Amino acid sequence: MKVSFLFLSIFVLTLSTGYGQEKVYYNQTEFGAMFGRVESQWSGDTEERINFSMLTFHGARISKHHVVGFSLGFDHYENLSIIPIALGWRGFFGKDGRAQLIGGFDIGGGSTILEKGEESEWGKSWYEGGIMASPSVGAFFPGKKGKTALTVTIAYKRQELAYYQGSYEQVGTQRPIIISQLPPGYNSMTETDYLFQSLVLRMGFSF
Amino acid sequence: MTTSRLYPLLWILMISVLTLSCQDEITTTYTHRTMMPVYLEMSDIRARTITVEPPQELDSPGKIYIYGNYLLINEPTKGIHILDNSNPSNPVNKNFIPIEGNVDLAVNSNILYADNYVDLLAFDISNLNNIKLVKRVEDVFTHMYRHDTGQIITFKDTVITSENAYWGCANCEFFTMDASRSFAANYSAAAQSYGTGGSMARFTLANEHLYAVDESTMRVFDVKNAAEPKFVKPIDLGWGIETIFPFQNKLFIGSNRGMHIYDASTPSSPTRMAVYEHIVACDPVVVNEDFAFVTLRSGNFCVNNINQLQVINIEDPYKPYMMKSYPMLNPHGLGLAGDNLFVAEGKHGLKSFKVTDVLKIDQNQMEFLESMKAVDLIPGPKSLIVIGPDGVCQFDYSTPSKLIRLSCIDVKNPVVIK
Repeated sequence: MKVSFLFLSIFVLTLSTGYGQEKVYYNQTEFGAMFGRVESQWSGDTEERINFSMLTFHGARISKHHVVGFSLGFDHYENLSIIPIALGWRGFFGKDGRAQLIGGFDIGGGSTILEKGEESEWGKSWYEGGIMASPSVGAFFPGKKGKTALTVTIAYKRQELAYYQGSYEQVGTQRPIIISQLPPGYNSMTETDYLFQSLVLRMGFSF
Repeated sequence: MTTSRLYPLLWILMISVLTLSCQDEITTTYTHRTMMPVYLEMSDIRARTITVEPPQELDSPGKIYIYGNYLLINEPTKGIHILDNSNPSNPVNKNFIPIEGNVDLAVNSNILYADNYVDLLAFDISNLNNIKLVKRVEDVFTHMYRHDTGQIITFKDTVITSENAYWGCANCEFFTMDASRSFAANYSAAAQSYGTGGSMARFTLANEHLYAVDESTMRVFDVKNAAEPKFVKPIDLGWGIETIFPFQNKLFIGSNRGMHIYDASTPSSPTRMAVYEHIVACDPVVVNEDFAFVTLRSGNFCVNNINQLQVINIEDPYKPYMMKSYPMLNPHGLGLAGDNLFVAEGKHGLKSFKVTDVLKIDQNQMEFLESMKAVDLIPGPKSLIVIGPDGVCQFDYSTPSKLIRLSCIDVKNPVVIK
């Protein structure tokens, strides 16, 4: 639903903004690393984490300096992988044909489709993705022929995520409790909310 | 802007971002169901007058008992609904008797027996418009007492949410562990097992005696004079008692380790004839002259991963032996009407078999209604009553091979089966 809305809005934007000789479609694909700090749940010590991240942004130029579109990525955190899907904007500051500054903003959600929950006779566990927001700044170095450019980006990425571990009722069939904050059939539920905050350094190309 | 001016700007940005804290935040909330202890003075409970109330919607029904044209449906720990079932296609909710701590019931000559925490109550229900409490037998279900001061402990089903991994409230934990013997266990067992009329009964009437089983004890009441139940004695059964089924001067008691057969020809003092033991499983029992039908199912307490219907030969009740077992999907309650056996297969549905030849039950399946999820059933004189997530449903089973749905009573909190 969300994705189809994204495509539709891009399509509309593409149609309404196809002006002049300026190329409408803009793609920026980058790979890099996320740097963050995580507090160990056992010792309380803060540990550094470095994770792989990639992002591909597809957009339509709506004016000389602005591109809107959507981004799709792959972020690998310590034990899990997330596919962030977001609406995005890229703004360019500088003269054509020269290195430019790129400002960017992506907002959307992280999908945990790659993470399989577990289900057994005793209970069930699963992940639910959450909001992702990522402002970024970067540099745009156009290539010799002016088609492909090299990009370098620094971003802050905020990814929310929840992990649920539920255990089923002890007695085979039991009544749901009316005031329940628990889904029917569960005896307990552990919800772990994660907020990953990372500094992302990425490098790639755009055309 | 030139490239040379751009670099310093980038570096400034980079350094400023790097100095920002990018620490992950992880918060965990634990939500769990527990039994909160509630202390009650029996003197207070006895002092309260029980007044019959207008009909109430069925919330989470427990036992169902058929008496004449009436269906009596227990709402565990709350009371008893009375429904007029003269027309099984349209049962009419008549009234509600609020009885605290009630989990079971039985009716004998217009006298309704119901437990009220540690007491047994007898109501005269000959006139539904004028239900009267006629007798209270005090202090019979004494396993609920924690000490002999007249104070009892019960447990309230509660959901607790906390940010600490500490599983329980300050008082709860100890009691939660201890709860297996208490009312809570009785309650949850009652809540799961339904139907005094069904195969998962815990109160049963036979030969002018009322037998009440809890986790480990059978209590015998003399009800020769229906309105004057007299407590006779407790009989120790051992652990894990679940159901009781009377048949021809015998009591068949299903436990999670096997089936006990008691000789009740001296009704006031049943004696053990045999114990047919099997591996731990949850098992209701139904019986005819020669055979007992037992279902074993894998549930959470009944750890063994076994789903079976067993046929046990009881021609010699001192030497029961298994004749044959049939694989099942997840059998819960079962009911026997003549040669027709109905098995509630949990979420898988409802099965019916001809059991004329007990060695060929699997070849004589009559129907398998996969849409009728069921946990227990009672073959009544007018209809087959089936309890499941859809509520309390009734079927016409005059043609046993072709069940016809008559009605379903809506239930606010139907049973959950996985």
